[in-house]
Amino acid sequence: MLSTMERCLSRALTATFEELALICPDTRLSDKQSEAMVDVAVSVSFNGPLSGRLVLRASSEILPGVAENMLGADGEYPLAVQRDALGELANVICGNLLPMIGGAESVFVLSAPHEYVTGGEPHRCTPVARSSIGIEDGRAVAQLLLCDESLLALDLSLEAA
Amino acid sequence: MAFNVLVVDDSAVMRKMVVRTLKMSGIPLASVHEAANGEDGLRLLGEEWIDLLLLDINMPVMNGEEMLQRVRANPETREIRVIVVSTEGSETRLANLQSMGASIVHKPFAPTTLRNTILSVTGVSDAEYYGAVPVASTDSDF
Repeated sequence: MLSTMERCLSRALTATFEELALICPDTRLSDKQSEAMVDVAVSVSFNGPLSGRLVLRASSEILPGVAENMLGADGEYPLAVQRDALGELANVICGNLLPMIGGAESVFVLSAPHEYVTGGEPHRCTPVARSSIGIEDGRAVAQLLLCDESLLALDLSLEAA
Repeated sequence: MAFNVLVVDDSAVMRKMVVRTLKMSGIPLASVHEAANGEDGLRLLGEEWIDLLLLDINMPVMNGEEMLQRVRANPETREIRVIVVSTEGSETRLANLQSMGASIVHKPFAPTTLRNTILSVTGVSDAEYYGAVPVASTDSDF
């Protein structure tokens, strides 16, 4: 059973890929999609009533199509541009998710998206929600991490454990 | 009337998406300028005549809210039509932006949503979709 936070993340992930990348993602992944590597990752940090980051990972083979849908069919885009497109998707997912979990009156400051390297956390953050979608033969996975003080504020410690 | 447009967003990807939608919208365009933050946007406003400003909120150096305050405080720019294109979800912040005369387009946006808002704000009613004309652009990131 999905937690409220996972339902919010799933909604933001699906809507963003549908509207911004013009892709109709599969919410139930096939075996092939589930086994596909997610080898490109970007993240967006946020501060406000809650602090943490949203990490978006994707299979590299879906990125050319994503970039083309977002930017136009002007030729092949280099990996750096494909990653920027993924970063913008992460930014929009995060921007839409935060009011759902932090309240509509809350003001958050989001950092610019950047390439995500596992282990590079500046603060202790805990994964609290994860959602996946299938795209062609690959997938995209969004993960929400909250800093410990935010977890306490949300009283999510038990759920996260 | 052909419009001179300024797109201010720290994401080169989003600027390209917005400019692409602008060109497909069918509104007559004289020029399209781009800036990556509010400070650069204000500098461009001092150098170029701008009729329509498309503005993000979360940006480094100077965010869109501060830029809009300065635009409205300057007699030479206070009448510019402004559309905020942002993921901003805070009702407090959105109400403040609307009180400064900005229309809001929420990301993620369907191209038709942005187009319809542009048509509404500019008052253009007879634009033909995909009827874009060649237009000078400062787009240089791709």
